[in-house]
Amino acid sequence: MLAAAAVGFLAGCASTGVKNPSGVPVTEMRPDERGFVAGTGVESQDLVAVTDKMARGILAIPQVANAQGTPRVVLDPVKNETRFPINKDIFLTRIRAQLNEKAAGKVLFLARDRMDALQHERELKRSGQVTSSSDPNVVEFKGADFFLTGSLQGLTTKTSSGTSDYVLYAFQLIDARTSDIIWESSAEIKKQGLEDAAYR
Amino acid sequence: MTGGQPRLHRTMKNSVTAALAAAFALLVGGCATEKEPPLALTGDIRVDGPNAIDHGPARDKLLWQYRTAAADMRSGNYDQAKQYLDDALLRLGGIYGKDKNAQKARSYFHEESRKTFIGEPYERVMAYYYRGIIYWMDGEPDNARACFRSGQIEDSSSEGEQYNADYVLLDYLDGLATAKLAGDGSDAYNRAIAEDKQFARPPPYDAGANVLFFLEFSPGPRKYATGEYREELRFSIPSPTVFSAAIRVEGQTIQVGPYDDLWFQATTRGGRVMDHVLANKAVFKKATDVAGTAAIVGGATTAIVSGNQTGEAVGLGLVAAGLITKVFSSSTTPAADTRAWDNLPRYLSFAALRLAPGPHVAIIEFQGQGGATLANLTKTFTVNVPADKRDKVVFVSDASTTPQTL
Repeated sequence: MLAAAAVGFLAGCASTGVKNPSGVPVTEMRPDERGFVAGTGVESQDLVAVTDKMARGILAIPQVANAQGTPRVVLDPVKNETRFPINKDIFLTRIRAQLNEKAAGKVLFLARDRMDALQHERELKRSGQVTSSSDPNVVEFKGADFFLTGSLQGLTTKTSSGTSDYVLYAFQLIDARTSDIIWESSAEIKKQGLEDAAYR
Repeated sequence: MTGGQPRLHRTMKNSVTAALAAAFALLVGGCATEKEPPLALTGDIRVDGPNAIDHGPARDKLLWQYRTAAADMRSGNYDQAKQYLDDALLRLGGIYGKDKNAQKARSYFHEESRKTFIGEPYERVMAYYYRGIIYWMDGEPDNARACFRSGQIEDSSSEGEQYNADYVLLDYLDGLATAKLAGDGSDAYNRAIAEDKQFARPPPYDAGANVLFFLEFSPGPRKYATGEYREELRFSIPSPTVFSAAIRVEGQTIQVGPYDDLWFQATTRGGRVMDHVLANKAVFKKATDVAGTAAIVGGATTAIVSGNQTGEAVGLGLVAAGLITKVFSSSTTPAADTRAWDNLPRYLSFAALRLAPGPHVAIIEFQGQGGATLANLTKTFTVNVPADKRDKVVFVSDASTTPQTL
């Protein structure tokens, strides 16, 4: 009898409003693997899979692979048309980083997002406040040969059976002179989930 | 025969003792899980919110984040509101699959309020709505649109189809953001018009309108529980104090009525799956209570009138079984979860207008029934309209602090 009471007492106390009382140790994950914390939205494994595919695709297109000079590319912000608020720049940042890491010299990216700082530096040089290794009055900022951009579009279904989210990631390389889309590739990811009945 | 009766009696006595011990253990175990140190509340959300988020039960964290974010929005503390809403929306977006607290909430012996609070659909919608407003403020209308779309999806979780995803403003703002991003917002606008059955039709989009007023007024829905065991979730609404508003700026007066009513949204949600769970709990509680009473009465009667040891033992056994059943009954907790985002407004509204770059003083007058201005609720906002193409977003609640400079 005492044993039963003790078991009941201890069982009762052990769960006193504390979830994971010992904590959960930090678990290092690869960014391309699905973690134990997951939703139906855009996640790191999607980002890695999509941008890897896009970077490989860009390197294979003839205008880049067989270019006479080094093509200059400007990143144009991705359009997010999904239901997930995201940091859109992260896609282009990773594609750029992948291309710079794996194919240095085949394409060069122009730092248009740093133009204010670059122009300020040029003005300092022009005014003689700082030294210059070349004539600062000559315009050397390069123009773009291509724009790399993309869009994220989504479809969502929510019923009593759960939530389904499909996201289409489409990226294009656009010829800055002609507006031709010289390359386009897409990736599709669909996720489904159902929350506990207590939340339905 | 004579040797068997004492043995039977002993056996029954042991059974009764063991049963009572088990009942005691269940009672102790059941009660212990309910005890938690109380949170000292001051009544000031700006104090209570951060305190509860940091030191309160983890299952109430979202609730306090919601409440505190709303209060921060009204006092112009958008950076803090953004942090709370981001954290809350991360949790909202990842509720799929197993959840121990939710499993407990479904069990007979834990209250529904044991689950991690994420709110009813109208509350989840508002978390996305507020975050969308802040995204737009920050010059990210596409992410704002994403929030409005997610909000509308949250409203799709209703079991009934009739009132699914029927927020006028969410679709209207979806279309406006699309139009401002050089897209075609007409589909969303048409949906908004079709959903609008209560109030005046929102105007067609003016893509050149660069100042967006998000307004909210009157106190929002409350929750309470009814039923024999408080197992039925119900909503109440305080009498509305504000019915409309007028925005006065640079000689213009824009009359603004509501486009959405959270009371309507809360009460047209349809049934919850959890309602069935709670109803089952209530049936179990009632059945075990009745059965326990019957066993105790029957057992006691048998023990008294039998006149022999066997009858007494059987009677006592029945009493013990009845007691255990009663303990099960009293440990069953069918009460509905009435935790609520209690500082939400009732009415949501919106107006877009064109203003030249530079500072402008906007007076927002809230109006009672019949359009009478409620002078004590008038707000003054100094709106600095940027010279670039970014929209200026102004969030005004009848509970906003005043004056504010944005």
